[in-house]
Amino acid sequence: MLDANIRKILMEVRDQAASEGIQATLALHHEKSHLMRIGNSSISLNTSEDLTRLDIEVTDGRKQASQTFLGMIEETETIRNVLDKAVEKAKAAAPKTYDPIPDEVEESVYEEIQYDEALANLDPGVKADAYREIFSKLGDNFNYSGSWSSGSVEVCMITTANRNEVYHRGTDQLFTVVLKHPGKKWELINTQTGWRASDFSVEKTLKELGRLIPVYEKNPGFKVEPGEYTVIFGSDAVSEIANLSVFTGFMGRGWEEKQSWTSQNKPGDEVLGKNITLSDDPFNPQTFMFGFDMSGRKRKHFPLIENGVLMNLMYDSSTAARYGREPTGHDTRSMGIVMNTGDGFECPLEAVRDMGRVLYIPALHYMNLPSRSKGIFTGSSRFNALLIEDGKMVSPIFSTRITDSFQNVLGNVSVISSVSESVNGSNTYGRRMPVAISVPSYIVAEGVKITDSADSF
Amino acid sequence: MTDSAAVKKEISKNISRISLDGAGYVDARFYQDDSSETILLYDGDLEANDTTVESGIGVRVLWGGAWGFAATSDLSSLRSCFDKALLNAKTASELVKVPLFMGDRDPITGSYSSPVAVDPFTVSLEDKLGFLTRLDADLVDDFILKRIVYANFQKKKIHFQNSDGSEINKDLVNVFGMMMVMSLDSDGEMQRRSMSLYSTGDGTSGWKMITEPVLFAEHSSRIKSELKGLIKADTLEYGRKSVILLPGQGHLQVHETIGHPLELDRILGYELSYAGGSFVNLDSFGKLRYGSDKLFASSYGGILNSPGSFGYDDDGTPERDYLLIDRGILVNALTSRAMVNEANEKAKREVFSQSGGVARATSFYRAPIDRMTNVNILPGDDGSLEDIISSTEDGIVVDNPVSWSIGSNREHFHFGCEIAWEVKNGEKTRILRNPTYQGHTLEFYNSLSAVGDKSTWRVELVDNCGKGEPNQVMQIGHGVPVVKFDDVIIGERK
Repeated sequence: MLDANIRKILMEVRDQAASEGIQATLALHHEKSHLMRIGNSSISLNTSEDLTRLDIEVTDGRKQASQTFLGMIEETETIRNVLDKAVEKAKAAAPKTYDPIPDEVEESVYEEIQYDEALANLDPGVKADAYREIFSKLGDNFNYSGSWSSGSVEVCMITTANRNEVYHRGTDQLFTVVLKHPGKKWELINTQTGWRASDFSVEKTLKELGRLIPVYEKNPGFKVEPGEYTVIFGSDAVSEIANLSVFTGFMGRGWEEKQSWTSQNKPGDEVLGKNITLSDDPFNPQTFMFGFDMSGRKRKHFPLIENGVLMNLMYDSSTAARYGREPTGHDTRSMGIVMNTGDGFECPLEAVRDMGRVLYIPALHYMNLPSRSKGIFTGSSRFNALLIEDGKMVSPIFSTRITDSFQNVLGNVSVISSVSESVNGSNTYGRRMPVAISVPSYIVAEGVKITDSADSF
Repeated sequence: MTDSAAVKKEISKNISRISLDGAGYVDARFYQDDSSETILLYDGDLEANDTTVESGIGVRVLWGGAWGFAATSDLSSLRSCFDKALLNAKTASELVKVPLFMGDRDPITGSYSSPVAVDPFTVSLEDKLGFLTRLDADLVDDFILKRIVYANFQKKKIHFQNSDGSEINKDLVNVFGMMMVMSLDSDGEMQRRSMSLYSTGDGTSGWKMITEPVLFAEHSSRIKSELKGLIKADTLEYGRKSVILLPGQGHLQVHETIGHPLELDRILGYELSYAGGSFVNLDSFGKLRYGSDKLFASSYGGILNSPGSFGYDDDGTPERDYLLIDRGILVNALTSRAMVNEANEKAKREVFSQSGGVARATSFYRAPIDRMTNVNILPGDDGSLEDIISSTEDGIVVDNPVSWSIGSNREHFHFGCEIAWEVKNGEKTRILRNPTYQGHTLEFYNSLSAVGDKSTWRVELVDNCGKGEPNQVMQIGHGVPVVKFDDVIIGERK
């Protein structure tokens, strides 16, 4: 629950501003973050941050400004000073050529369905013990690294349009361990995510890495020559591809401005394979469920692609105002992208048993877009990548680059796992804001373009 | 507690207290002011008019060979912030196989201020908008569909103290600017040309820099004209040719494939779970042929006017100027105190004689990690851009990144650029669109066949280098000349 004093002084300033005819949005972001970092089989850094940010946006007709303050927020005067600076900047701003859509909290929302006290107050010693157990059980032949981020976030927002308020409190964690063979240089990774402390277990990590280590230890790396391959993309890779396709294909701004790979299409057109369905779903528990956006709109299930057909585009307030559209609840840093599962076996090896030689690429490193308009992406394999033959793990593969398009990869999917996984996509640049995407645990795509490979992992 | 003198006194007391408790090293960075102002004009509309102001303290404690870190904005709870950092370090010290240590260092008292003629935070918003709006007006043309004009002003006032007894004050000012025009080509694909504010490595940062026409504004007509050619151009075909990188592209090549792989924390494996490792190892120094004889790369924290210049790093090490690659041979890395000590211990010999002064944190609430300062390619003796083109039989000239994707150990890369010009028999001929090139780092630098002279060298400014966990964005600079590489894979396979 938001600190009572902070809530009180926020409301005081809101009331003052409203009475003075100022049109403003006041948003408070409070994080308690902890991160343990592992390097060279040791804890290399153990951090704690307790930070409160205040964002105030002021609209003065067609003029707008925002002011963010990270510091001590204990008094009305502090908030008022931030407001006054935003007011002053808005006055001096140049007017836009369109009318901004004012923020307004549609109805009060109080949500903490994904808040876990145990995770919020997780003792760093628990993390140290878990890493110690993993190192001990997997052996000291490897060099271990990794990180474990956990924490809580509170977001509160009010506007001068009314006295409604929205409040979200949640917890999140992302655990990673990487083991590297000091001589052979290959790297394996295991990650776990969730919003409860109990979402993590050492056993899951031991089981997953225990399955892969023998294949990596016994077999040399395989260099994949450029060409077209059948590829099993694991959940991290599916998440990367799906997420990037969403942000470059289904955002209203990119589409309106002809920068999107869907810009030459319109809703109703088939743009991906018939077995692909994507949505933004704030009610999916495998995402970090944010029920409102930062313009005050309630978020709802929002179909993006249904059976390959483009259904809707996402409009934030600014884009909607500029292009005369309705905002769709996408003034948010925490979408809940969901890719529907299919009817494939739970185990990807079963799914490709009759497919001969295929590549298993569970994650893509450093994806980028040489051509956004054409939907062309590039990225390379990294951890846990394997050559599979007749459903059997044969050998690890060296770093391998894929350069292909969303349309080709998501247009030629032959198998989709029946099991969904939550993939944590949070970053901690600036403020803590948990993001997760729910995707099938794997997909099998045909004719994927491998364009380069290294002689090393 | 808001009086900065009292805060500094309190920091000093707490550093002594924690040191006496047995900490191996303690430091604190007090950010009295960390301000950033962003202005973005999008088709002339003021889409971003944002200011962020941050203040607080970050405390780092080394205990039993492990780091603990804590940060707070609440200056009334300084003592508990130090205690939290100590507690975190003690917890971390329970799992240490490779103890970190900072080594003894004589205390340093110093200060550094970015050279600023006009503090951008003293310039009114009206004046800033006046300048940027005029620039935007210069970009208007019938064929142009989108225009962006961007400016970002940063100011950091930092007080540093550590248990060596060092006290350092820094007043840093950075300015970034960018303009871009976009239009649709004959296939309906959006093409763009952009220009970012650069530095000559001298002069002053601040408001005067962004308003210096040669560094920024006077390029508006050039990028418009180039875009006009680009939208009618043919697509670059797949093949192998010489690639000439202008500094707008060359700086990112250096950043990704010399800078990052030579950060010692990456070499030692501290970034494996996020940014990645490096193909370089401790045995590589003094032996590895990184590039051709024409390659001289340096780390220089003292370029007069660059965001990669900051006087002293966050270990309290003064800035240094040293070679990373000498006549193609790898000779040094981007290093900080603890990483140097660890590397030398691990190698059981002195690989590095001293810290390179690259420990930096992006804000008070992040712990320092190894970051590039200004990683540069030194000017060569192959003349001007025109000289290099005239000596090229079959190649392309490329500028400005659109896309960059690098292997996790920086061993291979793929870049997309805004524009290419074909070079045939020593002549720059037609413009080509959607240029890409890819390669393997060592093979690529060993194909370096021409390095432009001082006339082609400039400092490109980078405001968005991401690294570390928790994540940090850092500002740096790269001084690069025009460079030519031979037999490079260009374009995409059909």
